[in-house]
Amino acid sequence: MQFDAIEPGVYPELIYPPYKSTAKRGPTQAPLRVRDETATNTNLFASPKLILPHDMDMTAQGKGEPLGEKIVVTGRVLDEDGKPVRNSLLEVWQCNAAGRYFHKKDQHDAPLDPNFTGFGKMLTDDNGRYRFVSIKPGPYPWGNHHKAWRPAHIHFSLFGNVYAQRLVTQMYFPNDPLFAYDPIFQSIPDEAARQRLISRFSLEETVDDKMLGYEFDIVLRGRNATPMGI
Amino acid sequence: MSNITTSQTIGPFPHEAWAWAVELTSRVESSAPQVKIKGAIIDGDGVPINDAWAEAWLPGSAAAETSHAIPGYRRVPTNEEGGFTFSISQPQAPAGKPVAYVTVFARGLVKHQFTAVFLEDDPALAQSALLEQVPADRRHTLIARKQADGSYLWNIHMQGASETVFFDYT
Repeated sequence: MQFDAIEPGVYPELIYPPYKSTAKRGPTQAPLRVRDETATNTNLFASPKLILPHDMDMTAQGKGEPLGEKIVVTGRVLDEDGKPVRNSLLEVWQCNAAGRYFHKKDQHDAPLDPNFTGFGKMLTDDNGRYRFVSIKPGPYPWGNHHKAWRPAHIHFSLFGNVYAQRLVTQMYFPNDPLFAYDPIFQSIPDEAARQRLISRFSLEETVDDKMLGYEFDIVLRGRNATPMGI
Repeated sequence: MSNITTSQTIGPFPHEAWAWAVELTSRVESSAPQVKIKGAIIDGDGVPINDAWAEAWLPGSAAAETSHAIPGYRRVPTNEEGGFTFSISQPQAPAGKPVAYVTVFARGLVKHQFTAVFLEDDPALAQSALLEQVPADRRHTLIARKQADGSYLWNIHMQGASETVFFDYT
């Protein structure tokens, strides 16, 4: 595949002082543009066997129903030509409805939910579509500064069809009042790039009286994909 | 402007969610000899990062790992000392190619970083098509050094005089 240069502002700033831990962790030199056919044409193979029952329904992993607002999140994973990224591994993880991660180092004084761990994984289908059921995550404080609260979000990890498409990002929910105060979200200079991380409410994807639907399409880098099998 | 979906940090809490792949890829079943690559991920103050991650894509190893859950793939969280270790299978000499394409993730790293590692005793390093594109004075940051126990040492420096070369593939 071909990977065009991305205009400044689309990616977050690697050193963004309001997000304090970027100061010593973000590389100071611009990434080096290099050509490497292996990185842009090969990838790991994720077998469907890796996906376990309930990996796509995070409300069905415990003995009972988790607390909170049940949601379904779906969307398509596309490349820069708009072609579907098929059979591609995608992981998601998130905190629970109270804003607490199932993680030994999360000290936020909010309850764990015994019926919710908040992680899932799946493969995209032949149209590049993914779909999972979860609980709407809560906002939570994170100590970066006084009254630092993260907007509600779900972490996404995508492997693409070639190695160089690897992406880790976060999906947000519409109209969150915390966007303006969140240095992680604001580390992305380009307004349109920020907006593309916000899912949209979908009545069409909403399932009857069971759960509200959100749509979140993802565009991975790369164009001129070689058709499979050639 | 590009319409790609931009990156965000993995944050501090992916460990349990990412554990499945750590477990599946830590036991390497391979028909080829294996060597270990060890190192640490180090911040701009020289402090090891104990909540970073290294993922490795090993195209040269995949064919020898057909019984492995994800052939040619490894995922490793750094430990309390910032250290990571992964094994590579070597069915054939690397011949100037990276033995691992490595992706680095961490809290405080708003976009994952792509790098790659070569072995110092690869006789074809001088003909490497990828290394040739790297300024000569920075190539050393991509080369793992052979240790007395047969493993290779490769530290990843996020900043500083030895800042690792990170790539943007074209």
